[in-house]
This record gives sequence, structure tokens and C-alpha cells, in this order.
Amino acid sequence: MMRPADEKDDFAIELDTIAASSLPSTKMCSFEIPHNRYFPSVSYSWIHWRILKGLLKSIRVVIFSAKINILLPFGPLSILLHFVTRNHVLVFFFSLLGITPLAERLGYATEQLAAYTGHTVGGLLNATFGNATEMIIAIYALKHGMIRVVQQSLLGSILSNMLLVLGCAFFAGGIVHTEKDQSFNKAAAVVNSGLLLMAVMGLMFPAVLHFTRSEVHYGESELSLSRFSSCVMLVAYASYLVFQLKSHRNVYHRIEDEGQSEEFDEEEPPELSKWEAISWLAFLTLWISILSEYLVDAIEGASDALNLPIAFISVILLPIVGNAAEHASAIMFAMKDKLDITLGVAIGSSTQISMFVIPFTVVVGWLMGQHMDLNFQLFETATLFITVLVVAFMLQEGTANYFKGLMLILCYFIVAASFYVHTDPTQSKFYI
Amino acid sequence: MDKIDEKPQLATVQFHLEMDHMNGRPEHEFVDERLVSPVELPELCSDLNGSQHYTFSDPEQQSNTRSLKISFCRSIKVVLFTSKINILMPCGPLAVLINYLTHNQGWAFFLSLLGIIPLAERLGFSTEQLSLFTGPTVGGLLNATFGNATELIISIHALKGGMTRVVQQTLLGSILSNMLLVLGCAFFCGGIVFMKEDKVFDKAAAMVNSGLLLMAVMGLLFPAVLHYTHSELHYGKSELALSRFSSCIMLLAYASYLVFQLQKQNDSYVRVNEERGQNEGSKNDYNEEAPEISKWEALIWLAILTTGISVLSDYLVDAIQGASVSWHIPVSFISVILLPIVGNAAEHASAIMFAMKDKLDLSLGVAIGSSTQIAMFGIPFCVVVGWIMGQPMDLNFHLFETASLLITVIVVAFMLQEGTANYFKGLMLILCYLIVAASFFVHIDPSYVGD
Repeated sequence: MMRPADEKDDFAIELDTIAASSLPSTKMCSFEIPHNRYFPSVSYSWIHWRILKGLLKSIRVVIFSAKINILLPFGPLSILLHFVTRNHVLVFFFSLLGITPLAERLGYATEQLAAYTGHTVGGLLNATFGNATEMIIAIYALKHGMIRVVQQSLLGSILSNMLLVLGCAFFAGGIVHTEKDQSFNKAAAVVNSGLLLMAVMGLMFPAVLHFTRSEVHYGESELSLSRFSSCVMLVAYASYLVFQLKSHRNVYHRIEDEGQSEEFDEEEPPELSKWEAISWLAFLTLWISILSEYLVDAIEGASDALNLPIAFISVILLPIVGNAAEHASAIMFAMKDKLDITLGVAIGSSTQISMFVIPFTVVVGWLMGQHMDLNFQLFETATLFITVLVVAFMLQEGTANYFKGLMLILCYFIVAASFYVHTDPTQSKFYI
Repeated sequence: MDKIDEKPQLATVQFHLEMDHMNGRPEHEFVDERLVSPVELPELCSDLNGSQHYTFSDPEQQSNTRSLKISFCRSIKVVLFTSKINILMPCGPLAVLINYLTHNQGWAFFLSLLGIIPLAERLGFSTEQLSLFTGPTVGGLLNATFGNATELIISIHALKGGMTRVVQQTLLGSILSNMLLVLGCAFFCGGIVFMKEDKVFDKAAAMVNSGLLLMAVMGLLFPAVLHYTHSELHYGKSELALSRFSSCIMLLAYASYLVFQLQKQNDSYVRVNEERGQNEGSKNDYNEEAPEISKWEALIWLAILTTGISVLSDYLVDAIQGASVSWHIPVSFISVILLPIVGNAAEHASAIMFAMKDKLDLSLGVAIGSSTQIAMFGIPFCVVVGWIMGQPMDLNFHLFETASLLITVIVVAFMLQEGTANYFKGLMLILCYLIVAASFFVHIDPSYVGD
């Protein structure tokens, strides 16, 4: 648990974890650490051995304890395929499959780290690293100048979180609890809906300006407007974090507290030490970056080979696989009647991407000198607008049943079908 | 359950009293054990002013030809002569006559429109009667399918004639008129009658309906936006395929909505029986009067009326173009505003009546339920029928119509979300409808001029 960990120091934690492991040769609970000046050689090798043991245990906890990690070999495999064959489809799919477990473990490491840092910094951590995968993929695509892929993959992530993940969660939860509607914290949901609508507003103006050809400097105004709007949206997101974590905590924690305290009761004590969590965080981020590079390279080739529009791959396929772990956890929480956590995962993630990741990529593009703006083209903007309306409407009641979930899932099918027959005007020579 | 058992007996007693009071005819006993609310009976007796035949024919007696003739005459009397609206019935044959004698399309159109009104109302009546025999589930299903049979029949005739724009605009106009005009008038009249406080209605049902309407807007938005941003894969063909797929999904959603609603109704019925509360559910099968015609009569009348409406719609659809030319009104205006107002006249009247009797849930069921039905069942059904017929009917309602549907659904969803109604909300809705009507008065379809 958190409190006992604060009182002991790292040394003793290591000792306890080692003692708790089942290796028979480490049965030395009452063994005192010898001081260096008494047994120098023994203590050095003992320290090395201790580090090795810690590393092995850490690897076992992180890598071998989650069933999803069976997909881990796909990562190196995709890199191999990239150099050996020209088969973009396999590279694309394998790197996608390889990223999934890494993303899930990244979430796990973030959770573990959050257990050490308290609510505030923990919430902040979650807010930044929650969608680290999408951010990393977006930044790589940006580096290659594939602006449309960035826009479409982020949009697809928002859509899949709002419609598919939330819909499946409501549906599964409603099927399990058929007697009455499940309820959730309406206040939090409404705040999130408001932020999503604000994001839609931020996206709509550049798009409409461009398509009504009513901007002052054609082609340039919307870029400057996008950059300014992005800064405004980042300020809004920062104040939202302050609002959520500091000033209005009681609004969220009234219901969240029960959920979280239950969570702490059920959760085991943190399985990784603080430094282990940080190093795993860094390691996994590195790995995800590497795989994203190959993923982004293979998108166009895969689209040609599979005969699917790039829009469909970016908007539908990428996010579904990328969000698989969040998806599963949201459904699980809904079936356990912890709908607030589900909403936090699904809608919170959407809000984060729309109000933090998208403006962040615009700013990063500004620094890189890329022409990334908030003009997501009319079709995508309209899609986001109607989706946010539908979801905001569904959430405002504060209750959930299987029918709402089914409606959301069916809406996602309609969206997916639309993107299946959607191609960018710039590519089809019907540029408006 | 005691109260439920008491009710039929109570009704019978009152029945006897009323009967003896009015005339000394012998009456048969209740064969049907349906619930009759004693509250409804005085209204029932006053509504059917003069008609005192409450003889319920036993199925075994129908083998007797004399009683068959009697029941036939009685049936005609009940169905045709008891409703004041049936004064418009001769307009139907008159329209057919005029169509063959003169070439005045304007009059043919107008008269066939007037002729359809009573048939539509009687169709609703026989559907209600039939649903009394079939229980809540099938009754709800019947209502869901035949509730807007008139619009569907007119649409299918137009589809057969290849007039896909007329189909789209008629269905759109039906949704708009139900959501704005009918609901607005109901709220307004109800609010005027009950000035002191806002009336409350079942918010949950309204929310579900609004959610479904938003989903329908979503289904309509994508093909239109795809077409107008020229961002579809195969120009002209993709949106048709997408429309057909979306229609299947919308039909699936509507089917699950029916399942969900019927399941909730069953639950609430059981719960209400246990609590002995007042059951004022949206499906009012249990508060109805006793069935006035037998099951087979209801079915036969259903078939006859559907045939009549079908025949008249043929002439109606044929006359639209001519009427538009001779009256100097755009076809859009006729399809979107005139057709639905007249076609929905009976529903309109009943919704206002329910609102004034403080039964706002029934009003909402009529108005918003009808909109949801057309949006999530009527429109996708027409697309599927068009698919089978080989007509290129799709969900691309063109930008202007789609935009008006979007803003209307948003306005109405917003009005309904509070769960209360007053005359001002009603007035706002009616005025919104006037704006919509004015917009369509000056709207011409680009496709007629050449896209």
C-alpha cells in the first residue's frame, strides 16, 4: 500500500521484495546489510546480484504477467520484415500488433508511478501519458510531413473512444445489469462534453473559413488561426486540469473516492519501485517510437495493397487496434458497475486528445516548420461535430442502459462505413 | 391485482346503467375480458353521440347470415358514419372523376389530398381496434408499422414513379411537421388550457426519441456531406452503397428500440400493477374503450382502407407536377409542407385533444413517436424498397434539407430535455415551423435545373 511504502526507504523495499520472492536462497529476512568497510568484496558482488535479481523480477512483473504480452514478438518481427521483404501490409499489421502490448504496459507503468506520486501529479501523469501512443505516432507522421494522416488518426481516436469504447461499455454493462439503468457522475460528463464542443468549435472555424474562401490571406490565415486556437485550447486544457485536480476535487472525488478506495483495496501493493517505473516508462516509450516509425512508413503501401482508402486505415483501423487495451478495461469496469471509471477512460481520453494532443501536435508542427493546422477538411469536421452532439446528448442524462450502448455502436458502424467510401478531395482531383 | 379485477365489473355496471337510460335495448354481456377504464366510458358515450349499438357479436353467431348482414351494416355504421371527418370521403371518388374528365391537375391533387384524410384517420382507428385484440406486444408493433402507413404508401407510389426527390421531401416534411407543428400546437393548446403551471411529461421516453432522431440525422448527414465535398471514392455510386448500408443499420436500431421499449413497458406494467398506481403509459392499450368491431372486421377494414389510400395516392402523386405548375408553387413546398400537413391532419387533431386533456405523454407519443418512426423506419424502409425496385433512392437529402433537419432536431431535442411544457414553448415551435415553411416556399431544387 502507499502509506507503508512512504515510511520505509528503497533499501528496505528491495529487501522485502527479495524476501517475498520464492527463491530459496534468499531466505534472509532478518539479514542485516553489511557495511562496506567490514565486507567490501562481498557487498559489491551482493549489490550486483541484488540489482540483477531486481531487474529479473521487474521484467517478470512487467513483461510476463500480462497475457497481452504474447503479442510482443510482433514488434521485432515487423522490423525484420521491413528490411527483408517489401510487404507493407505485413509490416503495418505486425507493427500495429507489436505496439498494442507496449501501449498497455505503458499504461500500467504510468499507473504504478502514479501510486507513488499522489492524486495531483498522478492525474497529471495520466493526462499526459494516457495517450502517449497516439501522440508518438502523430509526431512521427508529422516528421514525415503526412499531415492528413495525423489529423485523421487523431480524429479516429476521438471517434472510437466516444462511440465504440463507450458504446461497448454501456452495452456490456447494461446487459449485465438489466434491472435498472446504471448511473454515473453527470457533472464530470457534462464538463467533458463542454470541452469536446469547444474543441469542435476550434476545429470548425479554420475549416469553414477555408471552404467559404472567406479568409484574408488564402492558405495562410487559417494556419495562423490554427496556431492561435491551439494555444487557447492548451490553456483551456491546463485550467481544466487545475479545475479537476485542485479546486473542484470534491465534485469528482465524491464518486471517484469510493471507486478509488475500492481500487486500492483490491489492488496489490505497487509492484514496481518508483525508479523501476520511471525506467520502464522511458524504455517502453522508446520502443513505441521505434515501432511507430515503421508503422507510419508502411501506411501508404498497406493502403495500396489492401485497396482501402488511407482515410479508413487512419481513422478506423489504427485507433481500434491502438486503443484495444483501454477498450478492454472500459468494458470490464462497466460490467463491474464502476461506470465512472469507464467514463474517465473513454470520454476522458477523447477530451484529452481533442483539447491536448491535437493542439500539441499543431504547436510541435509549428516548431518543426510543418504545415499542420486545425483545418480537418469539411467531411471530418462535420463527422466530429455530429458525433460530439450525439454523445453529449446521450451523456447528459447521467444514466446508461444497453440500448444507449447499442445506439452508440451502430453510430460507429455508420461512421466507419462513411470513411470506407471516403477519399480526400486533394487526391481525387476534385479539390474545392 | 385486485383493482384490475374490479375494473371490468365496474365498467359493466356502468354500462348497464347507461344503456337502460338511453334506450331499452337488450345488450349482450362482455365477452371480452379486456380492461376498461371507467374514466373513459362517459367520454366514449358522449363521443359517439347517438350510436347506441353495443352489441358484441359472438364468433359462433357469425355463421348466421342475418346476423352477418346486421354486423356488416353495424360495422359500416361504426367505421364510416361515426366520425365527423368522414364528411370528406366523397372527395376521393370525386378526385378520380375529375382526373378523367378534366385535365385540371390542381383540383385533382387537392381533392385526392382531401379524400385521403378520412381514410388515413379510419386506418388509424382500425389499427387501434385491432391492437386491442392482440395484446401489448403485437399491438405496439402494429402501431409502429401502420402508424405512418399513409406516408409510406404515398412514398412507395412516388418511388415507383421514379420521383425520388418527392419521396425524400415528403418524408422530411412529415418529420418536420410532426416535430414542430403538431408538437407546437399541442404544447400551445395544452398550455393555454392549463395556464397556472407547466405540464410535465415523461422525460426518459422523450430523451430516447431525441437520441434516435439525432442518430437518424447522422445517418442522413454523411451521404450528403460526402457528396457535397466531392470526397467519395466512386462519384455518384459510393453514397448509394453507403445509404443502403446505413439504412440497414437504422432499421436494426429501430428494431432494437422496439424490443427495448416493449421490455420496459412490460416491466413498468408489472410494477404498476403491484403498486396499484395509475397506469398512464405511452402505449395506452389498457385505457382504451372496449373494441367496437371484431378482430376479423378490423382486419378487413384495414385491407379495404389501405387499398383505398393506395388508389388515391396514385392519382395524388401523378398530379403533383401539374398542381405545382398551375398554382405557381415550388414542388418542394408542396411535398414538404402541404402534403404532410394535410396527411397528418387526423394525428394533429388527436395530439391537440390529448394535450388539452392533460395527457401530454400521449401527445408526445403521437408527435415525436411518429417523427422517430418515419426517421428511423420510414426513410430506411423506402431506401430498401428502392433497392429492391432498382430505384436509386439514397439518404442524400441534399444540403438544404439535411441542414434544416439537423437544426430542427437540435431545437426540438433541446426543448424536450427539460421535461416540461408550456404555451410559450409551443408558440416557439409553431413559429419555427413558419420559418421552415417560408424557407421551403422560396426553395427550388438544383436537380430540377440540372445539378
